[in-house]
Amino acid sequence: MDRADIPHLSVTELAALIESKQVSPVEAVEAYLDRIEQLNPVVNAYVTVCAEEARRDALQAEEEIQQGRYRGPLHGVPVAIKDQIHTKGILTTDGSKLRADFVPEEDATVLANLKKAGAVLLGKLNMSEFALGDANSSASGAACNPWDLTRSPGTSSSGSGAATAAHLCATSLGEDTGGSIRGPAANCGLVGLRPTWGRVSRYGVDGACWSIDTIGPVARTVEDCAVTIGAIAGYDPQDPYTRQIPVPDYRQALTGDISGLKVGLVREFLDPDVSGVTAQTRDAVIAAAEVLKSLGAQIKEVSLPLGAMSGVVTRTITHTERVSLHPEWLRQRPQEYHHNTRVAFMAGNLIPAQVYYKAKKLRALIRQEVLQALNDVDVLIQPTSVGQAEVMNPQGRVGSKEQAKRALASGSFRGPYSLSGAPALSILCGFTSEGDGGLPLALQIAGRPFDEASVLRTAHAYEQATPWHERKSPI
Amino acid sequence: MPSWLRKEAVVDDLTNPEIQALGRAVGLDIQEPELTEVAYSLNAILEMMDEIDVPGVNAVEPLPLILPTGEV
Repeated sequence: MDRADIPHLSVTELAALIESKQVSPVEAVEAYLDRIEQLNPVVNAYVTVCAEEARRDALQAEEEIQQGRYRGPLHGVPVAIKDQIHTKGILTTDGSKLRADFVPEEDATVLANLKKAGAVLLGKLNMSEFALGDANSSASGAACNPWDLTRSPGTSSSGSGAATAAHLCATSLGEDTGGSIRGPAANCGLVGLRPTWGRVSRYGVDGACWSIDTIGPVARTVEDCAVTIGAIAGYDPQDPYTRQIPVPDYRQALTGDISGLKVGLVREFLDPDVSGVTAQTRDAVIAAAEVLKSLGAQIKEVSLPLGAMSGVVTRTITHTERVSLHPEWLRQRPQEYHHNTRVAFMAGNLIPAQVYYKAKKLRALIRQEVLQALNDVDVLIQPTSVGQAEVMNPQGRVGSKEQAKRALASGSFRGPYSLSGAPALSILCGFTSEGDGGLPLALQIAGRPFDEASVLRTAHAYEQATPWHERKSPI
Repeated sequence: MPSWLRKEAVVDDLTNPEIQALGRAVGLDIQEPELTEVAYSLNAILEMMDEIDVPGVNAVEPLPLILPTGEV
């Protein structure tokens, strides 16, 4: 195989070649490093490339495999992680000048788990500053969307979306609070899974909002996503909120059989008057429901009446909790934040306690509503976003209260699952018309807490029945 | 229109001087060019939260911090 072709393989295709010794981990890493050198200046997905460490770890993986000690489908596979996740001895910036020289003394649990599975870390990925706001707030400059460099790759795991879509890593990790895995997956035509809150350890990951943060994969295929979440999920005594619930073999769930599966199509997010969803996104999601029906699923319309408030409820909670993480910096070093981060943090500092408390009460009601809906169906489906990726505006500011309200409302597409702690996945479900740029559109699939397997099974059946994942980004 | 949405918020927008005063209460000196944007952002949150009128919400207990053992 030509080395330049290696980055175009899926994780599972590459793993098969590594296991059969047709491709070595060293070759795989060199192929990715070549591509990063060529394309990272264009997409700006990486903040730090760990070439030396990656070559060393790849050599070790190669030796283990040669000695018959093959660990599994991530062994020798080059991966990358969001720069919010601690890496021993490697810079971890959180996308901020304030963390420009922070070098952690130990790996986050998720990275330790990836390494146990044999994965090779290529580097750290760009992100919005402190996992908040737009891609432009990163101290390293904005990551770009490989489908259209003028458009946002989604936030806050902007580099995870950009690097994975541009084939600059085989799979990646992001962090999702209000949608920071699902948004980049949607904008970049990928598969992104926000796992159940408590399924994956947050130990060693800088917090954005402790009661909502989750770590999960951003991958090119559902099977790659299943392999990646399988490696990082599970109880961690270092994170008291992880649960002692067995982690299934997620790849075994990908049977392709969804006959009899009960699927709830969430009405409110298909109604432009309620959600503002674009016609092309709405049509793509309805067509996806038809595909699932043709595969034997039972489609039923369901209602989440409180869903449309989840954007502002999520933001009220996350803004309040975020600013509690480093109040001294905001008082003493405010000019070191990006302007937009500074505005958001200052506003978050002023949210009255009773408004925050009301948001927590509404969160309980929204969670109850989501879980009740999932009593009647196995999974819920709806759009991931209002529409396609938006054009980035480096000078973008909060221009009016109405503009701020629209931004808060747009978070409602992903809010119900952030607030309820349920797993939710975004998958490519079509493209805008050529006249509108041929950009990715996305379907969101949510499931019961700790039932990531049903979410992945549904996504996999859909992926295999449709051609969308075969289309590659121009970069 | 969702049934839980009140027609208009009861709260008035905070003015820029009021925002600055609130800032001082938490040790922040908020000046332009941030001040007007902070006002837009905060007033948007306060107005949208105030417009939410779910019957019985006052009696709801917030989501517990520690999920009960056995709940999945």
